[in-house]
Amino acid sequence: MWSDAQLGTLLERARDGDREALRELVRALDPVLWRVARGQGLATEDAADVVQTSWLELIRRLHDIRTPRAVTAWLITTTRREAWHRRQRARRDLPDGGTAVRAVPDPDPPPDERLMADERDRVLWRHFEHLSQRCRDLLRIVAQVDRPDYTVIAEAFGMPHGSIGPTRSRCLAKLRAALTADPAWSTP
Amino acid sequence: MTDPLDEVDREILDRIGRYDPPPPDLDERVLFALALTGLDDEVARLAETVAPAARAGEQARTITFDASSRTVMITILERPDGLVRLDGWLAPGAALTVELRRPAPAPPRTVTADDTGRFVLDGVPHGLAQLVIHGTTRVVTPSLLL
Repeated sequence: MWSDAQLGTLLERARDGDREALRELVRALDPVLWRVARGQGLATEDAADVVQTSWLELIRRLHDIRTPRAVTAWLITTTRREAWHRRQRARRDLPDGGTAVRAVPDPDPPPDERLMADERDRVLWRHFEHLSQRCRDLLRIVAQVDRPDYTVIAEAFGMPHGSIGPTRSRCLAKLRAALTADPAWSTP
Repeated sequence: MTDPLDEVDREILDRIGRYDPPPPDLDERVLFALALTGLDDEVARLAETVAPAARAGEQARTITFDASSRTVMITILERPDGLVRLDGWLAPGAALTVELRRPAPAPPRTVTADDTGRFVLDGVPHGLAQLVIHGTTRVVTPSLLL
C-alpha cells in the first residue's frame, strides 16, 4: 500500500491529467472507502454507489484540494458523509419511520454464521463479535489491505496515528488468544 | 513499530478479509464513472431504487438520481431478448441531449428528450452504463449496472 506522500504525488499527477495515476489512486483507496461505507451500515449496492459518488466529487474538487496529501482524508470524510446521508434517506423512506433500521444495534454486522461452510470461520466470527467496536473496525480494514498505511487508517477511524500499530497488535493478540483457547479452533 | 505477523496471525486476517471484500468490479466502476467526468460536471446522486416489480410478466426497476439542477429518473425494463429498454424522465423537463455511455469500445448513444423531459433508449445491452445530460451544466450519474 502507498504512503500518504505517495498518494499525494499520484493526486498531483492525476490533476495534470495522468489517467494511470488516477487508476493507481483508485486501486489504493477503494478497499478503505468500501469499509468506511459498509461500516456506516449501507447495503453492498449503496456502498458501491457512495464510493463512486465520492470519487466523482473528488474530480470536481481536484483543483481546490490545496494539500494533495490530504486526499485520503478528504475522500474518507466525503464517503462517510455521503453514506450517512444515504442512510438517513433510507430511514425516511421507510413506512414505519425507520424504527426497523434504528433497531439494528451493529451497523456493520458480522457475517451470518449459518451461511459459513467452514467450521474455523464460524469459530472465528463467534469470537470476533466479542471484540470492541474499535478492534473490529481496525482488524477488518487491516485484513483488507496488504501492508496498510496507518495514516490512512487513522484518518478512516478518527484514531491518533501513533496508536494504530499498538491497537492492531493488541486486538489481534486478543482474538488469537480467544481462538487458541477454543478447542473448536485448535483441533484441526 | 509493528509486531511481525506469524502464520496464525496471517490465517486470522485472511479469514477476516475474505468476508465482505469490495466487489471485484468496484475499481472498474469507479474508473468508468471518472473517465469522462470533468471539473465542471454536476454529480447526480442515487436517490432511490424501487425494487424489481413484476409488471405483466416483465422485470422493471426504477432509479432516481438527484443533482442540484435536475432530477433524472429511469425505468429499466428487461426485454425478452436479453436487452433492456430505458424509459427516462428529466425534471424540470427540457429537450436536452441525453447520452448513454458504455465501456469502450462500445460507442456512446445519444437521444434527445422531448419538451417534457421524456426520453427512451431501447435495445441496450446489460453491463456498466453512465448517463450524461447535456444541459447548461452537464449532469453525470454514477455508473450503474444495467
